[in-house]
Amino acid sequence: MYNNVLNLLAILILISSFTLVANKRQNAYITTFRLQSLLLALISLIISVKSMIETKKFDEVIFIFLLIVVFKVIVIPMAMRKTSDRVEYKVEKDFFINIPISMLICCGLVVLCWYVVHHVEGITNPTTENYLIYSLSVVMIGLFFMISRKKALGQIIGFLVIENGLFLAAMMTTDGMPMIVELGLFFDLLTAFLIMGIFVFKINSTFDSIDVNKLKHLKG
Amino acid sequence: MIPAFIIIPVLAGGLVWISKNRIFIHAINLIGAAGLLIISILSLIDINNNKVIASSGLLKNIFYMDSLSGYILFITTLAFFLVSLYSISYFGQELKKKVITIGKLKLYYSLSNAFVLSMIIALTTRNMGVMWISIEATTLASAFLVGFYNNKRAIEAAWKYLIICSVGIAFALLGIILLFYSSTVKLGGARISGLDWSYLIKYAVALDPSILKIAFIFILIGFGTKVGFSPMHTWLPDAHSQAPSPVSALLSGVLLNTAMYGVIRVMSIVNKCLGSSNYTGNLLIVLSVLSIGTAAVFILVQQDYKRILAYSSIEHMGIIALGLGICTPVSIFAALYHTFNHAMTKLMLFLATGNVYLKHHTKKISSIHGLIKTMPVTGIVFVLGTFAITGMPPFGVFMSEFNTVVGALFSKKYLVTALLLLFLSMIFAGFTKQLGKMFYGKNSNPEIKQGELDIIGPAVLIILLCITFLAGIYIPTPFKELMDNTTNIILGMGE
Repeated sequence: MYNNVLNLLAILILISSFTLVANKRQNAYITTFRLQSLLLALISLIISVKSMIETKKFDEVIFIFLLIVVFKVIVIPMAMRKTSDRVEYKVEKDFFINIPISMLICCGLVVLCWYVVHHVEGITNPTTENYLIYSLSVVMIGLFFMISRKKALGQIIGFLVIENGLFLAAMMTTDGMPMIVELGLFFDLLTAFLIMGIFVFKINSTFDSIDVNKLKHLKG
Repeated sequence: MIPAFIIIPVLAGGLVWISKNRIFIHAINLIGAAGLLIISILSLIDINNNKVIASSGLLKNIFYMDSLSGYILFITTLAFFLVSLYSISYFGQELKKKVITIGKLKLYYSLSNAFVLSMIIALTTRNMGVMWISIEATTLASAFLVGFYNNKRAIEAAWKYLIICSVGIAFALLGIILLFYSSTVKLGGARISGLDWSYLIKYAVALDPSILKIAFIFILIGFGTKVGFSPMHTWLPDAHSQAPSPVSALLSGVLLNTAMYGVIRVMSIVNKCLGSSNYTGNLLIVLSVLSIGTAAVFILVQQDYKRILAYSSIEHMGIIALGLGICTPVSIFAALYHTFNHAMTKLMLFLATGNVYLKHHTKKISSIHGLIKTMPVTGIVFVLGTFAITGMPPFGVFMSEFNTVVGALFSKKYLVTALLLLFLSMIFAGFTKQLGKMFYGKNSNPEIKQGELDIIGPAVLIILLCITFLAGIYIPTPFKELMDNTTNIILGMGE
């Protein structure tokens, strides 16, 4: 039961990253990202509650649950939406590769991740192997999302999705890293998000657009 | 001793905000940097006597230093001290010309202290997770330093730097998670020690080789992005050329070494687990030859003198990686020695470009002539530095490159050696052809007056010239001992 629920949630996270690639508008990306973070928060809640019931001791993973809910589900999407309202003047086509081809590429990425993880002999537990495949795929799809979008905001969302994939990997394969590392990771991510947000405004005011294609003064 | 490393930059970075007095701000930062240098020398003495410095109490599981961390930390603090001294001259001139305000100066000092703080934590921690966090923090602290001038190009460079390095380093985290997975599965043990490199290297043989192999690839790509290995190097020339010169010097002389330190730690764990250095060695050698080759080609076509130096950083990181990849005592010694020589020589060159830029307000090679006549000290240091960085005797870089070549020949890597020598000669040709135009000839711009801008800037250059020259002819015994100990640690013979 426990494993089935976790497996289901992990698969839903993978599917949500496919949804993200299929989204056309910035507000839709933000909603999908919020949904994905909510699923991640659920996973951390289940892991921590289970370990608290088993060991009858307080488990630190519950903090991660709270942090994910507060920041990734509420604060970051809200800030993104505000930024997007402030810098977005008109809706334009925001992707290089059309959506059906993008979906096919993402399927290819999942197969590639399966191939890589399956051939590591040391991972003997099939459940762990599956979790690693899902999380590695989320990372890869996030990376693909970053390179397929032209707007700076799309790149930030891609970065956040990559981080979600990493959190998924850390939680599912190892039952959580040491607390100090988890907390450090979280605040690092938050600062990265803040700084990227500031740069979006800077790019918007110096280049009159957040289209990163216009950033091509430096070459070679 | 380690807490002092953390407290000083925090204090210095905070205290600059309490006053508006220019001299006070410069002085606070300089005192902080000098304090860091002194503590790092004291801790080196401690390490030479006791092998390691371990913390006790709450920080026991976080901080730990051995010769390798001490050595890189010494380079970091020495470079930071010299850059702080130079900043007084550089930003003093910029203030005088009203290019920046006093608020920007404070921002520069507190960000550069945060930058150094994050590198210090990366170098003194024993936890791979904390190391990753602080290496990522270096990117965040220096993003605003790269985009310091807030013009189109600077913002573009900073955005590229931020995105490429953050994403690249995410792969290193994936590698560290795999390493942690392997240690929890195979060693059991408490959560906190599963990421401790001193623990991992002790029990490396028990870890799973196949997981470690894939973890090493992820970590090499991740930290390698930050080191500037080709083909992940694309952020490096932009960031180095657009940042103010003192920042470029810190990026090139210090940051790249810190990222390389992360690769070295993981490399020795993986080598010990696999029982040979073939796997990591081959990967490192391929990346290093690719980096040196890329640098050799791109140096030939640059029009911006800071970009040439940036590509040269890629080249030298490649040479260090080559020494590490060959993994014999000679080559590792050469790599460590090269780390120091490259840091000092590159610091000298970037600071020299700072003087040139302040006077000429352009980074284009073609609009600068007769540098030796107009700026005698900077010009001559720049010429000598060009020869030093391309590997001419009697400077330090020559000695360490020579040792790397000897190491490569001893381990029968003839093809790699041949390629290395070919690329090195291409780089020498590129440097002299490109930069030579700047030094000689006659200054045709009537606005450029004869003479240096002030005393401190050229004085720092002369100190650095002495260091690079001395490093080429003589290594003091304690230093030699330190590097020998470090070599043993990297080869896994330290225990």
